[in-house]
Amino acid sequence: MNALVPRNGKIGARTPLIDGVEKVTGKAKYTADLAHTGAYVGKILRSTKAHARILSIDVSKALALPGVVAVVTGADTPVPFGVLPIAENEYPLAREKVRYRGDPVAALAAIDEKTAEAALRLIQVDYEELPAYYDPRKAMAPGVVPLHDDKPNNVLREVHNEFGDAEAGFAKADLVRSKTYRFAEVNHVHIEPNASLADYDSERGYLTLHTTTQVPYYVHLKVAQCLQIDTSRIRVVKPFLGGGFGARTETLSFEIIAALLAVKAEGKVRLLQSREETFISHRGRPAAEITMKLGLTKDGKITACHADVVQTGGAYAGYGIITILYSGALLHGLYDIPAIKHDAWRVYTNTPPCGAMRGHGTVDSRAAFEDLLTIMAEELGLDPFQVRRINLIPQIPYTTMLAQKVMSYGLPECLDKVMQASGWAERRGKMPKGRGLGLGCAHFVSGTSTPKHWTGEPHATVNLKVDFDGGLTLFTGAADIGQGSSTMAAQVVAEVLGVDIKRISVIAADSALTPKDNGSYSSRVTFMVGNAALDAATQLKEKLAQAAARKLEARPEDIVNHDEHFMVAGSQDKGLAFGDVVKEALIDTGTITVKGTFACPKEFMGDKKIRGSAIGATMGFCYSAQVVEAEVDEITGKVRPIKVWVAVDVGRALNPLAVEGQIQGGVWMGMGQALSEETRFEDGRMLHANLIDYRVPTMLDSPDIEVIIVESIDPNGPFGAKEASEGMLAGFLPAVMDAVHEATGVRPDQLPLSPERMADYLDARVKTH
Amino acid sequence: MNLLGDFNLLRPTSLDEAVKALSGEGAQPIAGGTDLLPNLRRGLSKPKLLVDLSALDHCSDIVALPDGTVRIGALVTLEALVASPLIPEAVKQAALGVAGPTHRAQGTLGGNLCQDTRCVFYNQSDWWREGNGFCLKYQGDKCHVVAKSDRCYATYHGDIAPALMVLEARAEIVGPEGSRRILLAELFREKGDDHLTLSPGEILLAISLPPMSGWSAAYEKARVREAIEFPLAGVAVAMKREKGRIAGLRVAITGANSAPLMVPVDELVGQEWGDAVAETLGKQVRKTANVLKSTISSAKYRRRMLLALARKLASQLWIKAA
Repeated sequence: MNALVPRNGKIGARTPLIDGVEKVTGKAKYTADLAHTGAYVGKILRSTKAHARILSIDVSKALALPGVVAVVTGADTPVPFGVLPIAENEYPLAREKVRYRGDPVAALAAIDEKTAEAALRLIQVDYEELPAYYDPRKAMAPGVVPLHDDKPNNVLREVHNEFGDAEAGFAKADLVRSKTYRFAEVNHVHIEPNASLADYDSERGYLTLHTTTQVPYYVHLKVAQCLQIDTSRIRVVKPFLGGGFGARTETLSFEIIAALLAVKAEGKVRLLQSREETFISHRGRPAAEITMKLGLTKDGKITACHADVVQTGGAYAGYGIITILYSGALLHGLYDIPAIKHDAWRVYTNTPPCGAMRGHGTVDSRAAFEDLLTIMAEELGLDPFQVRRINLIPQIPYTTMLAQKVMSYGLPECLDKVMQASGWAERRGKMPKGRGLGLGCAHFVSGTSTPKHWTGEPHATVNLKVDFDGGLTLFTGAADIGQGSSTMAAQVVAEVLGVDIKRISVIAADSALTPKDNGSYSSRVTFMVGNAALDAATQLKEKLAQAAARKLEARPEDIVNHDEHFMVAGSQDKGLAFGDVVKEALIDTGTITVKGTFACPKEFMGDKKIRGSAIGATMGFCYSAQVVEAEVDEITGKVRPIKVWVAVDVGRALNPLAVEGQIQGGVWMGMGQALSEETRFEDGRMLHANLIDYRVPTMLDSPDIEVIIVESIDPNGPFGAKEASEGMLAGFLPAVMDAVHEATGVRPDQLPLSPERMADYLDARVKTH
Repeated sequence: MNLLGDFNLLRPTSLDEAVKALSGEGAQPIAGGTDLLPNLRRGLSKPKLLVDLSALDHCSDIVALPDGTVRIGALVTLEALVASPLIPEAVKQAALGVAGPTHRAQGTLGGNLCQDTRCVFYNQSDWWREGNGFCLKYQGDKCHVVAKSDRCYATYHGDIAPALMVLEARAEIVGPEGSRRILLAELFREKGDDHLTLSPGEILLAISLPPMSGWSAAYEKARVREAIEFPLAGVAVAMKREKGRIAGLRVAITGANSAPLMVPVDELVGQEWGDAVAETLGKQVRKTANVLKSTISSAKYRRRMLLALARKLASQLWIKAA
């Protein structure tokens, strides 16, 4: 299969997002902006205990308060949920036990916020406290009280994988080193707080739920499951969304609670979550302790890799099994490595549940790997670029030991481009005091080939309608969460049909209107939905070409289309305007709707014989290399990134404007994790649940990020496109760590490199020298 | 997102009316509201009456008086403060370090000076604090910063006060008993739950800055990010250098104690700046500061920064004045 070559100028054109003007003018309606006349106010009572048995909940006083219309507790939520069918252990409202401070215990709907607040205070919960664990080592110790009965040692998943012979690999190496790293837990800090508007029509028995999600389909399934309502009686709509970054890639308790309250109140319930509650919902990247071990030959060839990973997972399973598998799965596929061993533990703790976050599970392992590779290269007298080039994948296509297929590989070009742009050869090692350069590489999947819920359906479906008005309407379940997926789908259709993008309306993420989509996660949408849109547009083009051929008295295969016209190839006649072609095509048939689909072929779904190979199975990897220039202030300990050069192989940039934005955002998020962001708890009490204490970087902290797009033209991506927003995040971490080393001589082993941590490193350096 | 409680709002146009209103039980002043409103939304106080000072005359401008004194009205926004040619550089540095542009456009000098003290156990939601048994500063009887303490150790994190204090700014206060003028430093006391020396009904009306007459000054704060943050530690230094000696030195710190404090440095006057003097300066800062675990950042780092910034600023001013 070869990627289609764009000819109509819509692909590869810098295209402002089709919904951008609505956002910047404030017209866009986010969930909290939706009309809510007559809606009750929903509120959640949360546990003040980190680990406790619920002895009793008395809601009678709250129910008796005038204006309170519904109160619900765990007794109303007998069915648990979770994003993975094999690990559904979270109840919308806690039953029997609470497992972290903030676990929802009860919820209510009232006529206004004041009544709701007052009623919450009237709910009496009696707890019997249990020992709580915040440190995974303590949670795993013998004799602990398990958070979940099925896991007596609090280990959700233990992984022991070995590909190739690691021991033999290390024996062959000229240099073997290992180093232990600690990465703090981080949160997505999506700017729009969580919110739902649930409306239950008790006459019809029909629930309409507007909610802040990246995965309307999963929300649909879990609301139906937990409320025991037939899926046909539920409509889920995702309005404009203020970011996600993985926080909303699974159904969260607040949206199920909103639905439950609406059903119970037989009306409309608006449930808005505060910033604190949004932090409590969490699903961020877990704290990780990683011991990385590498073996290198004298000339830098990697002989073996062993990663030992412990993740502090929080109180429920969520995506945990996948996150822990990902901490090893993407050790494959960036370089050619003959042996990879992965030992890992995902541990339950009495803290808010972790989940998927941009670069899901792969970031910390990648940072540890890249940092150690650079350190060992230095010991061998090799430049960081040199040691990476030696280990490049030798030929494409390539199959990793985990059965992942690499069909396109722009990493070599990425390395060349950032080396040149950063002036590495001339500047590295000669930087002024307090400044340094560092390099980091990373990659990420373009969607997972194995969906979480196996249905046998295609991975993506797009409906495309053309009608009497000549307008094209594209229906997709894909959730545009700000990444630009609706624009991408419109561009694909505009390109194939040769029409102005303004001719296209995109209707997205409304289960009553749009075909199902698995959602916006794992960077799957451009690859999968893009291909489905391509399929739909191609089918429609054939129908229109047939109509044009009839009218122009030519053969359909001789019809070409561009600039809103269909014409006979090679003819001087400018042919038929798009509207006239549509009119001809509608004769006898009426409105035309075509359905495009995309399904990953089996060979991209891992190998059944290899345990865990479903995770990290993808049709294409995005590759990146980045150089960070940073400065360290010896007095304050502040690490200031000055400039980032980042080259990313995105296959083909369908919309370079959006791709650049995504890449800058990815680098920037890596910067936050590397330099300032971390969650903080005291006895399980969240201290950071606001934007002062959780230090997401500001514009003033942001370096200039120079984006270099590399296009390897993947054979299976739509027009050759791959993922463009996750594969550059991880690279920032090791790059800035190496820049800090050049600037100060410090080799950090803990992130973030906040001023206080950096100051401690600087002090330690002074003491040891 | 949390609901504001019920209160009455009064917007007096005369000082008499404002003073009278603020003398009543449960009355609180509001100007820009950037400090007060988030606290009210978290239920950190429940005023019966908010007295909006924004309609008062004579405190929204910056005026140079004939004797060279600059009078800054308490309602002057931080944005206007930064833009004024009459304001010394050190005060501008301090004001520019506050929050972000929108807060500076809204927040006033008086509000910034009188801002509430802060603590990681205090600036939390009602639910959070209830789960922690509340605290000594409000609604509780226990200090979580210093267990078994009988006083509150919430920290003063205003940026501008120390910069004004080292310039010997005076505060103009009106109240039921008439008006009084005090050194700005005297506006504060080292008590986390009662850090202002204003009596009921008293209003901070203006700040007066004497002429710089040979002094130079600077302010710097420790922070993780270049915007948003309150000072983890902040230091202002004013110095006068004459004939190769320190002819005058004043140092003030913030982000450390429950009040912005002057550091006693008189013993350094008359000396030449050097390592020994820097050492003494550090010792004096260390003696004055009482940095505790009231923020998410460690006390160790904040102490370190107080010392480092004091030395750095003094050294820079010394060189600059040469």
